[in-house]
Amino acid sequence: MIAAMAVVAVAAGAIGLGVWGVRLARTTSDLYVASRAITPWWNAAAISGEYLSAASFLGVAGLGMKLGASVLWLPLGFAAGYLALLFFVAAPLRRFGSYTIPDFAEARLGSPRVRLVAAAVVLTIGGFYLVPQLKGAGLTIGSVAGTPYWVGVVAVAALVALTVALGGMRGVTYVQAYQYWVKTFGIALPACLLLIYLGGLPERAALFGQELPRAPAGGLVAKLDSAQQVEFPEAARFTLDGRAQRAAAGSERTLEGRLVLPAGTVVPVSEGTDAERGEDWARPVERTGTASPVFVYSLLLATFLGTMGLPHILVRFYTNPDGPAARRTTVRVLGLLGLFYLFPAVYAALGRVLTPQLYVEGQTDAVVLELPEAAWPGLGGELLGALVAAGAFAAFTSTSSGLLVSIAGTLSHDVRRGRGAPAGEQPVERMRRFRWAAVAGMIVPALIALSARGLDISVLVGWAFALAASTFCPLFLLGIWWRGLTARGAVAGMAAGGLVASIGIVATLVADPDPTVLGALLAQPAVLSVPVAFLTMVGVSVADPERPRSTEETMLALHGPEGLGLEALRVRG
Amino acid sequence: MSTPPGGRRARTPREELAEGTPHGDVYLGRLIRAQLRLSLLGLCAFGGLVGSLPLVFLLFPSLQDLEPLGVPLPVLVLVVPLFPLIVVIGLLYQRRADALDEAFRDVVSHE
Repeated sequence: MIAAMAVVAVAAGAIGLGVWGVRLARTTSDLYVASRAITPWWNAAAISGEYLSAASFLGVAGLGMKLGASVLWLPLGFAAGYLALLFFVAAPLRRFGSYTIPDFAEARLGSPRVRLVAAAVVLTIGGFYLVPQLKGAGLTIGSVAGTPYWVGVVAVAALVALTVALGGMRGVTYVQAYQYWVKTFGIALPACLLLIYLGGLPERAALFGQELPRAPAGGLVAKLDSAQQVEFPEAARFTLDGRAQRAAAGSERTLEGRLVLPAGTVVPVSEGTDAERGEDWARPVERTGTASPVFVYSLLLATFLGTMGLPHILVRFYTNPDGPAARRTTVRVLGLLGLFYLFPAVYAALGRVLTPQLYVEGQTDAVVLELPEAAWPGLGGELLGALVAAGAFAAFTSTSSGLLVSIAGTLSHDVRRGRGAPAGEQPVERMRRFRWAAVAGMIVPALIALSARGLDISVLVGWAFALAASTFCPLFLLGIWWRGLTARGAVAGMAAGGLVASIGIVATLVADPDPTVLGALLAQPAVLSVPVAFLTMVGVSVADPERPRSTEETMLALHGPEGLGLEALRVRG
Repeated sequence: MSTPPGGRRARTPREELAEGTPHGDVYLGRLIRAQLRLSLLGLCAFGGLVGSLPLVFLLFPSLQDLEPLGVPLPVLVLVVPLFPLIVVIGLLYQRRADALDEAFRDVVSHE
């Protein structure tokens, strides 16, 4: 109940700030003047607020509890992605003044066809990124209100589609900055209190995997709503719906109902959790499995290079008045993200001791939500539980509205422009098309999310990053820093990179191969698909007889420092 | 502004740049290369300090068994000091990149 109220309070705060922000933007009439009033700190908080999604808030801790320390590379890559953005993209792109990736592609390469391909990639990445947000919604609302998984998915999908269609929380810097602090406070305060209250890290041996997680004193209760395949690492006695049963060591059983394990029993794990038990859990790098070097480097590459290609992030950079301000903002984003990412690991480690039933249920993604009440049964735990629920709500609503704005904008604007539709159109009609696009753009991701309950949030998000790194990253790096890129080269490179990454992802979804070297390449394709995309883009561009016109002018617009007064000269000359 | 004796007045770098003359392109090309060098330097710094960690842990497995403060060393390294390190790399880069822009502005405006 308290948690539900906290969620409503966060949503109300965001809507209130949104209304205030819109009024502020109206009174200053000139958007450029308004953006000057926003300092790099506000901008940085807004970018971080839009970026920290359910994957960061719930997924990192959940996957960390499941797989162990190898997951810690993920937040590192998530943050370091802004370093790549700072080095290669932030200032030039701000100067160039294209608001979306398809805009940039067309303006730089002078081809409507490139815009269409870029638009298709935006829709794919955006859709991929929306699915795990909605999964987070299903989990969180389920944990707060006790509803089935699908209720949360449908409710939040509808809510976000509605607010975006009505122009609600959209694009307002102050709202996103507020969401950042809700999230950071929501994850940091319970984590700090847990560490203080528990006197550091309790039961270290189990925490860091010297042994398998066991049922705590007083026994462990796990609720298996549907038939679940469960593996028992050691022989165990347990009761299922009150009937006493036994399982031999290493046996697999399909269980459904209320499972009670007596104190000290080694906790059985759901299918797919098998890899990192015992001492492997504490090691970020191993020779095999999800901690193998191929896997780790591929993941780092995908997150490092993929961040710049996320469709909802780039548009935020235009509230910076100029290139140097974009640089300053990005450095602050690095700091704010670093602050946030100190905390998910605490939940991952403590979850192993305090909420081991999530291993049985196969729902480790819920560890952040369940941990406070498991640590403090009673009012204190309930209050802190409300705080994290509010943070989670802020996480998936802010990211999914940002994504949906990009998707709807692409559906209603880029796809049409790419087909050569006339530009002269009434604003009213454009707004109506945007609204329908917002509703339509939510339907497919919501349907996928309904069937994706068994997939880990962070795994799904990792794939969106891999796709972005294999398509938009080479487009930006070569488009900004190399005069020779041509439209044909860009299209071929994006198609090749996207194809290789997609094959790996689809093969993993369909076949679920063992995490051998080949399996790791399929599950985490960036280390292969990124070079393929770069090589194709360069190769086809070099062979292409057709050069884009006015590359020099474009390069000057991208790299020429502010304050040279060139525009005035050009008008005179 | 000096005027060559037999011909028309030499164009300033600013004008060369605005009109996209070959001279202007040379100026701009120099700036782009300097900025790119700086970015690649930053990339190497990050790659060397952070990107080498998986290999270090793999090649020296005994590091993974150390437990200062009761936490395994690799976990401690990955959670705490790397984020401030990234911020420092970012901050150093930002200062140098702004300085390169500033130097270019000086050259173009005062020559």
